Amino acid sequence: MDTIKISSFQLFVLVFLFEMGSAIVVGIASGLKQDAWIAVLLGMAGGLLLFLVYHRLFSYYPDLPLTGYVQKITGKFIGSILGFLYIVYFIYCASRVTRDIGELLTTTIYTNTPLFIINTLMILTVIYAIHKGLEVLARVGELLFMMVYLMAFTGFLLVVFSGLIHLENLKPILENGIMPVIKKTMGETITFPFGEMIIFTMILPHLNEPKKAKFVCLSGMILSGINIIITTIINIASLGTDLIIRSPFPLLSTISKIELMNFIERLDVFFMLYLVIGGFFKITLYFYAAVLGATELFKFKNPGKLSFPVGFIVLFASLTIASNYAEHIKEGLKIVPIYLHWPFQIIIPMMLLVIAFFRNRKKKQKTNSDQTSKSEMSPANQ
Amino acid sequence: MFLFLHFVIPHRLIPFHALNAGNLKSIFEKLDKTNRIGYSNQYWLGVSSSKSEAGVMSFLSRMFSKQQKKRQDDNIRQDQDPGKPEDLPILRDHKDNINRIKEELGNSTDVVIREYTLGTHKGAIVYFDGLADSKAISDFVLESINENHTEDVLNEPFKFLLEKAVALGDIKVVRDWGKTYQLLLSGETIIFLDGFNKAISGSTRGGERRAISEPTTQLSIRGPKDAFTESIRTNTALIRRRIKSPNLWLESMKIGRVTQTDIGIMYIKGIANEKIVEEIRTRLNRIDMDAIGGSGYIEQLIEDQTWTTFPTTYHTERPDVVASQLVEGRIAIIVDGTPFVITAPALFIQFFQAPDDYYFRFDISTGIRLLRILSFFLALIGPATYVAATTFHQEMIPTTMAIAIAAQRENVPFPAFVEALIMEVVFEILREAGLRLPRAVGQAVSIVGALVIGQAAVQAGFVSPVMVIVVSMTAIANFSTPSFAMAISARLLRFVLMGIATFLGFYGISLGLIFMFLHLCSLRSFGIPYMSPLAPFNIHNQQDALIRFPIFTFTERPHLISKGNIVRTGTNQKPGPPKKSENDSAKKGDQE
Amino acid sequence: MKRTWKILLMIISAVPFLGGCWNQKELTDLAFVMALGVDRGENGHGYKLTFQIVNPGNVTTGQMGGGGGLPIAVYKSSGVNLTDASRNATKEVSRQLYYAHTNVVVISEKLAKKEGISNILDALDRDPVFRTTTQIIIARGTTAEEMLSTLTILDKLPVNNITKSLDVTENMLGENTKITIDDFISGFVSKGKHPIANGFTLVGKKNKGKYKSNIDSTIPEVIIKTDGLAIFKKGKLTGWIDGKEARGAVWVLDKVKGTDVNIDWNGKNNAINLITLRSKTKVTAIVKNDKPVITVSIENEGNVSQADLPIKLTDPDVIGKIERKMEKSIQKEVLGTIKAAQKQRSDIFGFGDVIHRTDPKLWKQLSKDWDNRFADLQVNVKVDSYLRRSGIRTNPFSVDLK
Repeated sequence: MDTIKISSFQLFVLVFLFEMGSAIVVGIASGLKQDAWIAVLLGMAGGLLLFLVYHRLFSYYPDLPLTGYVQKITGKFIGSILGFLYIVYFIYCASRVTRDIGELLTTTIYTNTPLFIINTLMILTVIYAIHKGLEVLARVGELLFMMVYLMAFTGFLLVVFSGLIHLENLKPILENGIMPVIKKTMGETITFPFGEMIIFTMILPHLNEPKKAKFVCLSGMILSGINIIITTIINIASLGTDLIIRSPFPLLSTISKIELMNFIERLDVFFMLYLVIGGFFKITLYFYAAVLGATELFKFKNPGKLSFPVGFIVLFASLTIASNYAEHIKEGLKIVPIYLHWPFQIIIPMMLLVIAFFRNRKKKQKTNSDQTSKSEMSPANQ
Repeated sequence: MFLFLHFVIPHRLIPFHALNAGNLKSIFEKLDKTNRIGYSNQYWLGVSSSKSEAGVMSFLSRMFSKQQKKRQDDNIRQDQDPGKPEDLPILRDHKDNINRIKEELGNSTDVVIREYTLGTHKGAIVYFDGLADSKAISDFVLESINENHTEDVLNEPFKFLLEKAVALGDIKVVRDWGKTYQLLLSGETIIFLDGFNKAISGSTRGGERRAISEPTTQLSIRGPKDAFTESIRTNTALIRRRIKSPNLWLESMKIGRVTQTDIGIMYIKGIANEKIVEEIRTRLNRIDMDAIGGSGYIEQLIEDQTWTTFPTTYHTERPDVVASQLVEGRIAIIVDGTPFVITAPALFIQFFQAPDDYYFRFDISTGIRLLRILSFFLALIGPATYVAATTFHQEMIPTTMAIAIAAQRENVPFPAFVEALIMEVVFEILREAGLRLPRAVGQAVSIVGALVIGQAAVQAGFVSPVMVIVVSMTAIANFSTPSFAMAISARLLRFVLMGIATFLGFYGISLGLIFMFLHLCSLRSFGIPYMSPLAPFNIHNQQDALIRFPIFTFTERPHLISKGNIVRTGTNQKPGPPKKSENDSAKKGDQE
Repeated sequence: MKRTWKILLMIISAVPFLGGCWNQKELTDLAFVMALGVDRGENGHGYKLTFQIVNPGNVTTGQMGGGGGLPIAVYKSSGVNLTDASRNATKEVSRQLYYAHTNVVVISEKLAKKEGISNILDALDRDPVFRTTTQIIIARGTTAEEMLSTLTILDKLPVNNITKSLDVTENMLGENTKITIDDFISGFVSKGKHPIANGFTLVGKKNKGKYKSNIDSTIPEVIIKTDGLAIFKKGKLTGWIDGKEARGAVWVLDKVKGTDVNIDWNGKNNAINLITLRSKTKVTAIVKNDKPVITVSIENEGNVSQADLPIKLTDPDVIGKIERKMEKSIQKEVLGTIKAAQKQRSDIFGFGDVIHRTDPKLWKQLSKDWDNRFADLQVNVKVDSYLRRSGIRTNPFSVDLK
């Protein structure tokens, strides 16, 4: 397991695809109307700070994933419980994303297809990817990164040339003051998608150049953040504020408005292609983090073996976490950020950092004193 | 007992006085071996019945039964493995030698045995008709032997033969019996001389071979026009002619218990990755089969993964391609009897590089290469897209086109998927038929196919014209992949994707493509990731991946393939008119 | 591990059999609804829908023959709401109604005036199959049913006649502009804007349009024609603006692509005709003494296309004078439109939105009573015209006649 190594560019790509994955699809902070992009910007800033916390923890324990050093920091018992909770959290998040994708497909194109089928096929693909391992996933990421970027760029050009952009829709900026934006940032954008970087604490030990981890992850977050902001701005500018509130998938609405030369129209399918790729990476990475954590925690030898059971859990969870889309979204916007994202992404890591800081200082003092005592003893031996 | 031995073991081999109890055991062991090379049962029985005495009968019968059993075992083993090297020596009596050859080869009629006399010494020349160059034998061996010779020559006849008489380039002295067959079968001539337990083998390899001709499967417009032939020696020479470096090494081995096929591993020492060379060596050595039918066998026996539709070794019939790949650090495997040389490691992108890419300027080559990759994907998802678009995503077809397709499909009895499947299968049948039929009939097949598919089926209303367009587009797109091995994998996967598209539309196609990408990225060719340099991405090797940059930017070899010796060019290879400063100085010079 | 893969393989291979046809629909099982017409139901209850369904075999002329029959078939159904009526239609239509290629929704003037159209918009907005780029038009002085059953001679599909003529008038005349369902709804939702819709009417013997004879003569008995812009207020049609007034509205909305302007010269009416090539409109708001002032600035470029009197078009000064006259003429036209709208108390230009963008606080006060505030709004119109060329002749021949 320790032989799995990914390069820094591969990590960058994974961060990018993970962050972009479902954030672009569901249209984050759309309740803020024209100020949504500011919330994303602030969320990105907060997310970057948050990542520094994760990175600090990583630099204390460069060889261990989150579930590993939790035990080192808080002790075996509490650490195991925390680690287990994290695994459950990852599985839950994976199933949420699966549900997101499934819902989108069943509302737009596959209106008569059962959600079960759509999710099953997605999870099967994910299981296959987990079997192949992180290295293969990273390589596929590199390939699809280029494709996704090419597609996004083409889409951007098409939107611009269709004359959909009305930048005046972005005004007035901060109509209701800054407070609602900050509230939204704290409640939503800081945790989704930027706080979700927590799963990379599981993957960072596999980086072949640990020194570059900070730079790579931060730049990946910034690039994806910029992309999300651009997308949000395009959505607002082309849909207008009233339509964006009513659209569960604003980007889909924007893309379906593209009309060029009476021929290039109804490009929903390409949106779907993007969605499948982005969703796939997001689910797979959550899934991988969960599997990795479980292998670590329960001392399994082969992570591939866990992929089937975890896959079935994700699949059934994705079908049962909510009975309808409204419930799913309500959970996602109201309950999950406060009761799940905040503790797991912000509170626990910060507490861990504080404890780790003191422990390591003690250790350092100890080693220092050991050294001094040794040096004291050595002349005595002579 | 002695009598018996006298007959069974050829008398010149072991002198009588040497026969004592001590080496009796070794004699019996040798006896086994003799049997192995095929003394017939008849011979055995005949000798033993006529010459045996009562006293030895009991022993003989005991031994006989034992021997027989052993011989049966040996026969079985022999059937599988007659070419195992023998340490049995050549006999002194040339008549015995001749008899032995005759027996062991079953009096095969293509063995030519010509007896000669050199003064008082008798001898025989043996070669295979057709494998050896009979003109060379008559000119350079027989003629000089048959001249009148002086006395002193005849005192040391073997030395004379070796040093003077046989006027051939490559001459060896052979002492092992087993070796003689190997040499004979590779076209050499063996010269036996009475009274010597050794023979001379002269290199007279020759016979009828196909001349070097134009490549038939990989055509190029500006490239060289020669192609490999079935002869391994010609092929190595074709490569060596292109790389005149002492570092171009050739290792040889024989694979195949029965066929004893010659295999050559060629690589450039110092450029090729030693680890990969070693890996190829071990994988080739591991092969233990009776027959190697050609490079296709080798390819399938050494590839990293069997369960894949994608080729992980490259084969070509163009020496220029092999040469350029050798210089990049790849390793060539040349198999005798096949005009296709395998190179490894092979990467995905390599199958889209055609030789002409390098002979033309970079802008055109880049465009064409991108076109090839596009057409590969078109061939892959063409019919699947048609099925998905017409059964799931009718909204994405522009209105007028949708109406046109609907009008055409109005009377078609099949659902879109079945229609597509039928057409694709029919097309595959036609293609296969056209491929296998004699060239003269092939024309007829294509005409019939065009009529049946193109017109009659449409007019009869079985298929819609759009479907014909889709099928022919995919077919043409598939033909544009330079490598047949890669094109054929797209052919296969096309049906899989079509199936997925039928029940889940574009969602199915995109999941299928992700599956495919996962699979592609997990493949390795001799340890090298198949999708490199795209994934893992390597910025230094992008000159020749999706885009072919100008030749002068080819400064480095593929990093993963050739370890160590990376730099290919000198600095500042960019062409251009003389620099300004040079111009100025030249002008100054003029003025002065 | 091998066993798990076998299971996986089994699951995958079983999936196709589970449900071969959830969302599968063959092209030939679909009825492409090209245009949807909405009329008032009997006695004012519910709705009557008209479906203009394409008859594929008769539209495309290819090897498959066809071309003989009528290109469209029109079906009708009724129900308490749109979805109900649409499902009721299956009693008559042998195929599944498919709306993804619907280009136009026609609403009858009567329905728009009496019941309003707010109840039919949601169905169009919500259905994922419907295009958001579908246009909405009002059948002026006629019913949607008659409009949709009329055959047209130049375009085989009558719906193309509607969309294409809208395109062309937008580019050449500037009296209409494309209005999609999305545009309409966003105007409907916004407090600072009232939606408009294109009007179409039938000219001739309305009831003859559905016969083939209509397209058998070079002068069809009935033709479909664009006719003005409908102004909506709270979902109900409140009035029409026509001709030059309509063009003024399109001008303010920055949708004019090309049009022509006539000006008087030396006392001769409509002596010079100018065509515009490019036009750009900017609407800005400034707040003066807590009162918003709207400035509409129009900038356009054009050519001289006709001059019916001796005039020296080679003289830059003359060109300058023509430019001034053109500016005035456009200004007058636009102001006229704005006045007309103010009279109707309908802010079809989105001036409210402009104020909202520049001064959200002020807008909060104004928005409560915007319709009345709009009536008293001070609007300035600034026009800058530039004439670039005058065709392939310099002076008109009448200069030489003198």
